[in-house]
Amino acid sequence: MNLQENLKRYRISQSEYELICEQLGRPPEGIEWALYSALWSEHCSYKSSKVHLKKLFSKSERVLQSFGENAGVIDLGQGERVAFKMESHNHPSFLEPYQGAATGVGGILRDIFTMGARPVALGNYLCFGEPHADRMPELVKGVVSGISGYGNCVGVPNITGQTEFHESYNGNILVNAFALGLFRPGEKVFTSQAEGEGNLVVYVGAKTGGDGVHGASMASESFDDDNEAKKPNVQIGDPFFEKLLIESCIEVMNQGLVVAIQDMGAAGLTSSSFEMSSNGGVGFDIALDKVPLRDSRMTPEEILLSESQERMLLICKPENLPALKDVFERWSLDATSIGHVTKEKVIRLTWKNEELCSIDPDNLVENAPLYNRPYKKWVPQNRTESKDVSVLVDDLQNYQEQLLKCLSDVRGCSRNWVYDQYDQRVGAQTIADCRQDVGVIRLPDSERALSVALGCRPYVMRLDSHEGGKDSVAFPALELASKGFEAMAVTDCLNFGNPEKEELMTEFVASVQGMSQACEALNAPIISGNVSLYNETKDENVTSTPSTGIVGLRDSVYGPASMVEKNDEVVVLLSKVQLKTGGQYAEMQKQPLRAFGELCPQKTANFVKDVKSFINTYEISSSKVVGKFGLAYSLARMTLGSVGMSVKTDEVLPAMNFSEKYFSENLYQVVVTLSQETYSQIADQKFDFELVKIGRTGGNHLNIDNKISIPLEELKQSYFTGWGDHFESLA
Amino acid sequence: MKKIGVVRFLGTNCDRDIWQACEARGHEPVWLWHEDQFDINTVDAVIIPGGFSYGDYLRCGAIAAKSPVMKSVTEFAKAGCPVLGICNGFQILCEVGLLPGVLVANDHGKFIDTWVELKQENACQPWAGEKMNCRLPVAHGEGRYQLSEQELALVKERGQVWWSYKENPNGSVESIAGVMNENKNVAGLMPHPERAMFDWMGGNDGFSFF
Amino acid sequence: MKVAVKILPRNEVLDSQGRTVEKTLNSHNYPVSNCRVGKYIELEVEASSAEEAQQKVKAMAEFILFNPMTESYQLEVL
Repeated sequence: MNLQENLKRYRISQSEYELICEQLGRPPEGIEWALYSALWSEHCSYKSSKVHLKKLFSKSERVLQSFGENAGVIDLGQGERVAFKMESHNHPSFLEPYQGAATGVGGILRDIFTMGARPVALGNYLCFGEPHADRMPELVKGVVSGISGYGNCVGVPNITGQTEFHESYNGNILVNAFALGLFRPGEKVFTSQAEGEGNLVVYVGAKTGGDGVHGASMASESFDDDNEAKKPNVQIGDPFFEKLLIESCIEVMNQGLVVAIQDMGAAGLTSSSFEMSSNGGVGFDIALDKVPLRDSRMTPEEILLSESQERMLLICKPENLPALKDVFERWSLDATSIGHVTKEKVIRLTWKNEELCSIDPDNLVENAPLYNRPYKKWVPQNRTESKDVSVLVDDLQNYQEQLLKCLSDVRGCSRNWVYDQYDQRVGAQTIADCRQDVGVIRLPDSERALSVALGCRPYVMRLDSHEGGKDSVAFPALELASKGFEAMAVTDCLNFGNPEKEELMTEFVASVQGMSQACEALNAPIISGNVSLYNETKDENVTSTPSTGIVGLRDSVYGPASMVEKNDEVVVLLSKVQLKTGGQYAEMQKQPLRAFGELCPQKTANFVKDVKSFINTYEISSSKVVGKFGLAYSLARMTLGSVGMSVKTDEVLPAMNFSEKYFSENLYQVVVTLSQETYSQIADQKFDFELVKIGRTGGNHLNIDNKISIPLEELKQSYFTGWGDHFESLA
Repeated sequence: MKKIGVVRFLGTNCDRDIWQACEARGHEPVWLWHEDQFDINTVDAVIIPGGFSYGDYLRCGAIAAKSPVMKSVTEFAKAGCPVLGICNGFQILCEVGLLPGVLVANDHGKFIDTWVELKQENACQPWAGEKMNCRLPVAHGEGRYQLSEQELALVKERGQVWWSYKENPNGSVESIAGVMNENKNVAGLMPHPERAMFDWMGGNDGFSFF
Repeated sequence: MKVAVKILPRNEVLDSQGRTVEKTLNSHNYPVSNCRVGKYIELEVEASSAEEAQQKVKAMAEFILFNPMTESYQLEVL
């Protein structure tokens, strides 16, 4: 094969080829091509994003483990710690939605229990195209049943989700899975740092098959019309096997039989062995012919690149191998020693006693190329001089009808069709599930509450990437605060288009900076995550979507409800408005997105902290952050239970007109309900935010300013049947 | 305080939840591993928790039903001792023939996770004695209870129907959510009482089951 | 005309169900290997020849009955 053919086949650029020649002092040979191809792919090396990721706010006194390991770990005090991470599985899910989403869940779970933590919560951030786009109902159905099929079987509850729809995802959906694991007091955190000359390299779990060979480099490519040819890359997951792997791995770790451990994810055995060796500063001697195979015809290159699921690589002391094998056997799994650790930092791969290569792992991991791709300084987008950014459309005069339209629109309707398919309570620690504003589980030892909120509102990203980046952190942090949780740390999944395009890279940098600023102001560091680039089809990029997962802690297992539950309570609006936009309603009305102002990370963080202490100081019955579609929609969501509400603001909020107040989005506001008695405690208090009494709970209608009066039954009808109207085939 | 054997198969995933529920009621739980038979005199009651034993492959409960531990469970049940199967545990008890009927895929073809209201049709002394109505979570893909007309008539006549759904979530015949054997010492139900033990879980109607 | 469609996981693809069934049989002293679990569908179509029936069902198989990414199928006119 000539050079050009090899470069094309292994997706290596001319300049990268020259760098390889420089590293080796000669051109790459044989198996080295495949190793460089996999580990220098965007997916494994983060070569386009790393220079920016290094600048992220990533440290705080709570952080025990940050980037560089399978997942970040934070200390919750009282001996409890959690590991969490979010990861994308966009490309595989578009090709084969069921298996793509299922293996996405499997992969993120392995990242968690690899650290020694038992997985206790899952979350899913999904972006689909328009309901009527080609294949969309099939994709929605496949992804949701893939997540449910895998997550339910392994027995980890799905406690939160976010599902978005927009035309930019028509040809490239986003499937981001979040997982969180718990270390109980006394349990140890494990890492991938191999050590100890003479220790064994042990292969555990499923046998290696042809699944997903070259998957890592595929994930680093855009979609085009020859998807058909990429079919054999699909990986098949087995949640039952994963469950056995979770139990057995946790058991061997707790018994002290493991030195270091890593799952075989993207680029399979290659990335796990090279990263373990590079991170630990030791070498490996691996006999590839000892790798257990599902198909005996596999070549060394295929074995190295296979992405067969449910496999782990671990290091153990030779004397511990029998005990280790016993545990795995009890769980019906095989553990096979395939090599040993060597002192010199060199990876030597052999096949039937013949050396295939002998190479410094740092060449492929630490010293992979880094690109500072061209981007421009961010200029605020879509701003106006006028404070009133409300949408001016004639039919907005019929406010009542418009509110019902928001509730039944695909962007606003109930996602219970999705959530009903997830087991949300296995584990018997769930306090609040996907149907609530944030997911909450109980920490069994300290009996405190831990929450997960997902973030990134794509329409805010479409308005302005810098503001959208800040909002991706600030909005979920405020959601946590509205339930009394302190935001502790953040994971992210940066879904962007082609980084080789300057305008795209500019959005990437602007949003990552925005996220980092918001995190720093909140003292909630980003401790883990992944980057998914080349999310484009036929030159059309998806909306830049930096999704986030934020973990919060609260002392009590009880907190404010999502819906109004009591009559005769006072409805109060807490505000610190910095950015005003037509938001989701403008987009639904096909009006241009416009905004006034900008988010100040420090002001926002102060508001988040103030809201949290307000919620924890006073007795608050229910709360909701005002989000998509503005205040009217949020009030409607709070009255989908059995208690209504009457709100009147012409006197207390005279400066804004009706649509500005109720259908625009004023970032940020929180609605709370509390008893008359509690209100009398706060009425004369001074707060660092605006606090206005806007109404009263009770009755069986939602009444707003004499312009809206809708029976609760009608609100529910719109909200709960909306999904079926958009997805007839799924209802 | 009772000594309660909690059965663990490969793929059982509500085992720790049952353990927690037993402890909350002051009982002493002990594990019963799928590969091992046990002495039926060493426990006072047996619970088979939910999950996906053996991935639910072939058909739910089929592979678990053939395991050594089920030989002992059968012996224990035949001796008149109390056995409770929850969700996958219910499916396994039907598969080994300790309970009548069979559980198949939900009529709507999807997994369903929701809270259900239940009505007690007949009391089962060892489990959840007198509670007449309760609200519990369900989470299953194969919870549609089926049995032939003749068997159904017999089961009803003998008072073996334990719980029925007020709103049928899966297409079960006569909205049956749980049944007992003729002797009423073996019982199974699809809903999860162990997930409704305390107010913070969203309800505590499951408390009296253990 | 009656046609049978046999659907099995593709050879190169992991068959998780087959793997578990095989292990179970082996552990109960029924030695087996290469166990694969699939689906079997029987249906009737109007056709004047076996060939026509095959062709019709082939179109259906490719339309929805099997997933080419993970499964393969065989037709048999009964």
